This record gives sequence, C-alpha cells and structure tokens, in this order.
Amino acid sequence: MARLGMVIDLKRCIGCNTCVIACKMQNNVPMGMSWTRVISEGSEELDGAVGEYPFLNKTYIPIACQHCENAPCVKACPVGATSKDDKGRVVVDYDRCIGCRYCMAACPYNARMFNWQKATRVPDFNYGDQAVPLRKVGIVEKCTMCKERTDLGLEPLCVEVCPAKARTFGDLDDPNSEVSRLIREQNAEQLLKEKGTRPQIYYIR
Amino acid sequence: MSNQGSYKLWLGATALLALLALGAWIYQLTNGLGVTGMNNVVSWGLYITLFMFFVGLSAGGLIVSSSATIFNIPAFKAIAKPGVILSTVSIILAALFIVVDVGSPARLYNLLLHPQLNSPLMWDVIVILIYLVINIIYLYLMTRPVPDEKKLKIVSRFAFPTAILVHSVTAWIFGLIIAREGWHSALMAPIFVASALTSGLALLIISLLLLNRYTQFKTDQKLITSCAGLLATCIAIDAFFVFSEVLTLFYPGRESTLHILSIMFSGSTAFLFWLEIILGIVLPFTILVFYRNREKTGLVAVSAILVIIGVFCKRAWLLLTSFLQLNISGSPGVMFGRHLPYVDSAVFPNSWVAQGSYLPTIVEIVIAVGLVSFGMFLFTVFARKMLLKQLITSKVAGQDQSLASEH
Repeated sequence: MARLGMVIDLKRCIGCNTCVIACKMQNNVPMGMSWTRVISEGSEELDGAVGEYPFLNKTYIPIACQHCENAPCVKACPVGATSKDDKGRVVVDYDRCIGCRYCMAACPYNARMFNWQKATRVPDFNYGDQAVPLRKVGIVEKCTMCKERTDLGLEPLCVEVCPAKARTFGDLDDPNSEVSRLIREQNAEQLLKEKGTRPQIYYIR
Repeated sequence: MSNQGSYKLWLGATALLALLALGAWIYQLTNGLGVTGMNNVVSWGLYITLFMFFVGLSAGGLIVSSSATIFNIPAFKAIAKPGVILSTVSIILAALFIVVDVGSPARLYNLLLHPQLNSPLMWDVIVILIYLVINIIYLYLMTRPVPDEKKLKIVSRFAFPTAILVHSVTAWIFGLIIAREGWHSALMAPIFVASALTSGLALLIISLLLLNRYTQFKTDQKLITSCAGLLATCIAIDAFFVFSEVLTLFYPGRESTLHILSIMFSGSTAFLFWLEIILGIVLPFTILVFYRNREKTGLVAVSAILVIIGVFCKRAWLLLTSFLQLNISGSPGVMFGRHLPYVDSAVFPNSWVAQGSYLPTIVEIVIAVGLVSFGMFLFTVFARKMLLKQLITSKVAGQDQSLASEH
C-alpha cells in the first residue's frame, strides 16, 4: 500500500506548459482535451498578473486530477468505474464507464474530460506510451498520475520534464519521502481545502 | 365521427416527431455527444433539465392521485386514473432522457452488473425502477372492470411515499454535490418536491381540460376549481422555498455564492430565473389566488401553462447556473472538449474556456421535442384505452353511476 502524491512548488513554476504538452504526449490525449493545465491564478488573461501596479503578483498553478482521498467523483460514479486504486490513485475503468458525466459535475477542480467526439490527433496517429489504453467516444478520462509509468517505478512524465523542478512525486504515507518532507517543512497546501476532498496534490506558495 | 380523423392525425404527428427524435439520437450515437451543446465545463444540459422536469411532473401526478385514497378525498378519486397515466408516461420519459444523455448507452447494463450504492445516481435508478413498477401496478388495479378498493389502498400507501422519494433522490443527485456551490443545499429536496407538486398538478389540470374538450371523459368544473386552489397553494410553497434558498445564498456575502447569484439575477441564466419568478410564480399566483378566477376555465388553463413553463425554467437555471463558474478562476481555464478543425490550424482560440457556456443544439432540441411528443402519443393511447373505452363499456352496462356521479 502506498498513497502516491505530488508536491508542486508554485515559487518555482514558470508557466512554461512543458508538463501540459508532456502529459498530452505520454497519454495520447487528443486535440481539444488536456489532462493537465497551467492557469494564471485569478487573471482573465493568459500570463496575466493580479493586483494594482506596482504591486503586481503573478502565480501559475498547474492543475490536474487532485487524486483526492475523499474523492467526490468516486462516490458519484453509479457503476464504480472511477475508483481509488491500491496506490491511492483515482483511476477510471475505461471499459466500464457509461458516460453519465456525474463525476464531472462532482469534481470541484474540473479535472475530468469527456470524449465528446471521435479523437482528432495532430499528427494523425496514436502517439505516446504504448501501454496507455485507448479511449473511445462517450466516456470520461483524466490524469492517472501516469499509472503506466509509476507502476514501473518511474515518475509521472510531468514531474520528469519540469525544467524548473517544481514538481516532486512520492509516497505520502512514507514520512521519509521527499514529498512528505516538503509538505511538513514548507507548509504545503491543498487546492480548495474547504471542500474537504483531501487532495493528494499539494502546493507550496 | 370527425374525432376519429383528428385523433389519427394527432397520433400520426406525435409519432412522426418521435421518429425524428429517434433519427437524431442515432445521429448523436454515431457522432458522439459532441453534436450537443454540452462541453467539459457545462457537462449537463437540456437532457438532464428535462429529466428533472419529467421526474417532477410524474411525482406531482401520482401524489395527487394517491392522496385521493390516502387522505380520503373522494372528489379526487375521479381524477386518480388520468393522474396515474400521466405519472407513468412522465417517468418513462424521464428515464428516456437519461438514456439519450448517457455517452455510452450500450453499456447501461453496467448499472445492473456493478451497482455502486454510494452514488445518488444509483439510488435514483433504483427508486425510479420501483416507482415505475408501482405506477404500472396502480394503473393495472385501477383499470380492472371492478377495481379492488382494498388493494388500491395498499398500493397508494406505497405510491405516495415513493413519489416523494423519487423526487427527493433526484434532488440529492444535485444537493449532495459539494463541488457546485448553487446545488449544495439541504433545501434542494424540499424545493424539488414543491416544484414537482406544482408542475405535476398544473399538467394534470391541463390534461383534464383537454380531455374535457376533446373526449367523453368529463371532469366536474368544481373539481378543476379545487385543483386550481391546490395549485395556488403549491406555487406559494414553491416561492417560499426559492426565496429561502436565495436569501441563504445572498446573506453571508461570500464571493463564490454572490457570483452565482449575479449570474442568476443579471447574468446568462437571468432570463430563466426571472421567467420562472414572473411566469411561474407571480402571474399564476395572482390569478389563482382569487376564487372567482379559479372558476374560469380559460384563466385556470393559462395559469397551469404558465406554471409549467416556469418550473421548466427553474430546472434549467438550477442546473446550469452552478456549472458556469469554475471553482478555481484563472486563464486559460479548461479545455472545452472539441477540436474545431476549420479554425486557423496554428491557433485554436476556442479550445480553452475560463467560463462555462451552453446553448442546446438542433440535435438536442429535435430529440427533446420528439421525446415529449412520444410522451403525448403514449398519454393519448393510454387515455383512450383506459379512460374512454371503460367509460363506454360502463355506460353500456348501465353502470355510469360510478364515473358520472362526480358530475
């Protein structure tokens, strides 16, 4: 048993979107869909700042599935297609999902994507990790914390590619892991903590 | 008689619209739900709105008809049968709207194979199935040549609480969701039950008036008047709940709830909210609160139609408003979910959305109109089989006392 999680250091994130593209590549995510995204917090424009000049502030927040411990999507799914796996990840059974999209309504982070149409890919072939299953039209998908990589003991691709080393991956149950240490020492916070979903993704501000 | 001709024309027209919907559904199945206006931010739309709407209509119809036996209101017994027919047809429609909304309907058997009892949606599936069965048993018992009053009493005692439950569970699908600020309220179930009663009663009144006009099934004007009085009471309860809910959202002045209110009062769902308040509450209540107006068929009919439009609008704003705003605001937001191939191939300006938007497409509207027509088709057929045929046989047998005694 493990409880896989991630710490993202927002002081390090430079908003380069490398993780977004890497995720798309690794997981064969088609056009019009993205499992992870980097938003400019509170701003109406891309790369925008908030505040009054000269007291401006700009924070990038990478957001994907928060792999909540008390996951609203897991409770919502009527057929148990979304579940917590033995490593504490929230995973979707693509063969069982009926496409009712209740999980999308239940997710406070808008982390879930639906296959609204036949996947269009540019370039026009299946890219990424061959171990990642294909998804058909009419089902929900989302970040798996790179299940196919982490099962082999690798880090999720977004963690590996981050040029600013903003992301740290590890086991939250292990007090000696780097993630546990960062959470302890740097007062890492969770997104929308007040919703009580207990995310396994932490952020250092 | 010329009635026969117009009856066939009516059935033909409704069947044709239903077939069009079937075609549109097949089109949707082959192309994916991308042909609808729904997207990754507003992931539910017209179908789920109509699902809630028809569950409500159904519950309302059955509550009125079963209360005839439960609370021993003999006057209501005369309209119990059309009430149960309406309720059965409406719950079938509600289930169909779920089927067309689901992305992979071929896998719906998973609901039976892998029921996950933590999910309010699963509760709803169970309750709706039970409810449908009760409706059918109820209908069967009522249409016996000599209805067994004892059995009817027993069934009505189950029917009444199930009707309340079916709509409460539908409300909990929304009310238990912490992610959407506007849904997460303990008042959701009472609100849903209240508007179920309002809209169900209104639909029952309209159906009775139509039956009065076009068939031999006649309902006493007095009964319509007392139904209209009940409707006015239900509207008031409904308005009271909506007011409590809005006040509770408003008073603490939290940014997230104020934002929802601003969308509702003056934003993109404002027209739905104000249509509900004016057409669904203020106008019909002002008309029906006066006894003399309740005696006028025309005014009662207009009020009932207004109420139904109002409750539909209410379902829509309840559902949509909470989707529109992302809990974590910031640009570029979320990916919309569609690839738009004909936009400049280097830039995809519409791929990201920081705020939700939704407009039903033609496909959705054709399916919705078609399914509603299918409901009208079913009601017509059932009403003819169960209300009129029996009326004729009982008259022939010289037992017209039982039905005519209400006149």
